[in-house]
Amino acid sequence: MTVATVDPTDGTAGTAGTAGAADAHAELTALQRAGRLVAEYPRVERLLGALSGEQLLSAGRLLARLSPDEVAARHPAVPVVGLAVTGHGTLGELVPALTGELARHGMVARTRVADFDSYVFDLCDPGSDLYAARPDLVLCVLDPEVVFDEVPVPWGPADVERVFEEKTRLLVRAVAEFTGVGHGTLVRNTLPLQRRHTAQLVDHASRARLGAIWREGNARLLRLAEGNPAVVVLDLDPILAEGTPACDARMNVYAKAHLSRELLAGYAREVGHLARHLAGRTKKCLALDLDGTVWGGVLGDDGPQGIEVAESYRGEAYRAFQRVAKQIGSQGVLLAAVSKNDVEPVREVLRDHPMMTLREGDFVRVTANWRPKHDNLKDLAQTLNLGVDSFVFADDSPYECGLVGRELPQVAVVRLDGDPALHVARLLHDGWFDVCRLTAEDRKRAATYADELVRADFLQSFDSLADYLRELDVRVRLARVGAQDAARVAQLTQRTNQFNLTTVRLQQADVQAMADDPERLALAVHAGDRFGENGLVGAVLGRWDGGALHLENFVLSCRVFSRGIELACMASVLRYAKAAGATAVLGGYRPTAKNTAVKDFYPRCGFTPTGPGAAPDAGPGAGSGTAADGGGTTLFRHDLAEIVAVPEHVHLTESL
Amino acid sequence: MNTIDEFLQLVRDGLGLPVTAEDAERGLDEIPGWDSVHLLWLLTSLEQRTGRSISMPDVLEASSLGQIYAAAMK
Repeated sequence: MTVATVDPTDGTAGTAGTAGAADAHAELTALQRAGRLVAEYPRVERLLGALSGEQLLSAGRLLARLSPDEVAARHPAVPVVGLAVTGHGTLGELVPALTGELARHGMVARTRVADFDSYVFDLCDPGSDLYAARPDLVLCVLDPEVVFDEVPVPWGPADVERVFEEKTRLLVRAVAEFTGVGHGTLVRNTLPLQRRHTAQLVDHASRARLGAIWREGNARLLRLAEGNPAVVVLDLDPILAEGTPACDARMNVYAKAHLSRELLAGYAREVGHLARHLAGRTKKCLALDLDGTVWGGVLGDDGPQGIEVAESYRGEAYRAFQRVAKQIGSQGVLLAAVSKNDVEPVREVLRDHPMMTLREGDFVRVTANWRPKHDNLKDLAQTLNLGVDSFVFADDSPYECGLVGRELPQVAVVRLDGDPALHVARLLHDGWFDVCRLTAEDRKRAATYADELVRADFLQSFDSLADYLRELDVRVRLARVGAQDAARVAQLTQRTNQFNLTTVRLQQADVQAMADDPERLALAVHAGDRFGENGLVGAVLGRWDGGALHLENFVLSCRVFSRGIELACMASVLRYAKAAGATAVLGGYRPTAKNTAVKDFYPRCGFTPTGPGAAPDAGPGAGSGTAADGGGTTLFRHDLAEIVAVPEHVHLTESL
Repeated sequence: MNTIDEFLQLVRDGLGLPVTAEDAERGLDEIPGWDSVHLLWLLTSLEQRTGRSISMPDVLEASSLGQIYAAAMK
């Protein structure tokens, strides 16, 4: 354990403390001087992991000078994210902040800043340059001067109310236009009311009225995202409430930069996680150390009665942390414990300790042994069928944090320290698990994975996979995507990296459009087995073209593949195409860093290669996602003469 | 911050712009990669380094790196 010496906003993620940050910054500067930032871009991600605040901004400023195209050409595995910045006032300071945040997540930002104060035109004209660039994310950054610039002098609360309502109507129109264009995600923000506004009114009654009007206005802005999957509204109040200044008086007046660069940096941090999510890189599992992280003390030394989990100063801090971990785990994030302990005492505490908040059932796996934690994390990744890069690891030991950071640089390390009161802020400082919206599957995910582990244990008790599969009683239902399925199907295209034949990421609206189009085919795969229902676990997407059925993608959750489900679905699709009079079924495989497991999927289903093809539109988060684009698409063709059989252990129901 | 060379080094390291002593008297719009938003960063950095408040209007009105340096040293 170490003594708390740094504030919770500093050095939260990454493996290094303040000294590490200085080294990392010096190394970046050296790379810049040597002109090697493009060549060493993948290393930059690691260096930035140690930076925060001013140093991250400063690094972003250097990286903003690089050409995203050069980075992409040199490192095809690095996803390029198109950002369009528009809004009110001077927003140039947002560029280095965004560049640094995206680089920290291993992506490269291609940022276009619109002309000063042109947001209304940019968003309301479908022919604008902004739309022409087809950005993945459109950041419409607004500040309170949008309203106050237009109130007369003298003014009262009613004037503010009128202007705010006018602006909201304009924004509603802009959102409608944006949705009509149908590409990318629009990000808006609430407008921070400051004392320099309220104190212009000398009577408390008017100030209170202004405060109420303002918050009603912000509430309307926040509600713009309700029911509109293409819109995200960032609430700036929580960032401000933690001590970030909203505005710099000189920048405000002289440079028309109405939001402080610290606030823009906080905004960029949220956008970084959003971009990460849209590129299919959201973290999926939180691995927690136990001693000093989840409870106070050392279980092996202090015994179950000696550890602190509640009802003492430090105990209450650990209880607060456990409550937050449980809360996160309830929303689709898998919790795992990775502890250097003997397993029995750990299980005893999780099961029997009367004051524990977290229980055995909250974790998909409890790993307590004396092996190095990076080995345990690798095993855990394999057991859960996830990439190691899906993990966030939190530990109070600098040693363990350093070792995991060095051995598994893909893991996001949250370094906790000796004061447990700071644990919650450190864990939540980065939105590693941020998603646009949760689905029913998310809420059930932990239980589903726990079932998977039972299945895995079950697997080991059989001599052959075939026996296992027969006993498993796999049920598959293949049906047209309905309105209730579109969000989940979009999410599968975004989250799934392994069984994803073309890694084209789709938004809910894209999926809905496919489902509604008679020339397109959008099928949802539901599965279940003797252990329970898996839910909507996959999708087959295609289009009819000149008598042939082109399969544009096939995704299947990594939880369920290698059980014959994929073969059953393909057999069904081929039979359907033949019955519909198709001349052939065509499909493409686009290699990425993560989908090599499905490289031979089409040949295994009886398709023959026809050679390289054009890459499909990579969609949002192009590149796409973790789509380390390792080369072009390979095309395959099935002549429908002989169709592969549905595996006999699979019970297939079709409603095509 | 005592010399214009130190100032130019700050521009090189902080903004990644390869400026030389000759660039100090050039118009800002003639410096490849220059953006008006850099002025704001320079002002903040110079204030942090010198520990003094610098007139922002003076910096904003400057038309060359040399003039920015002069405004900062006033």
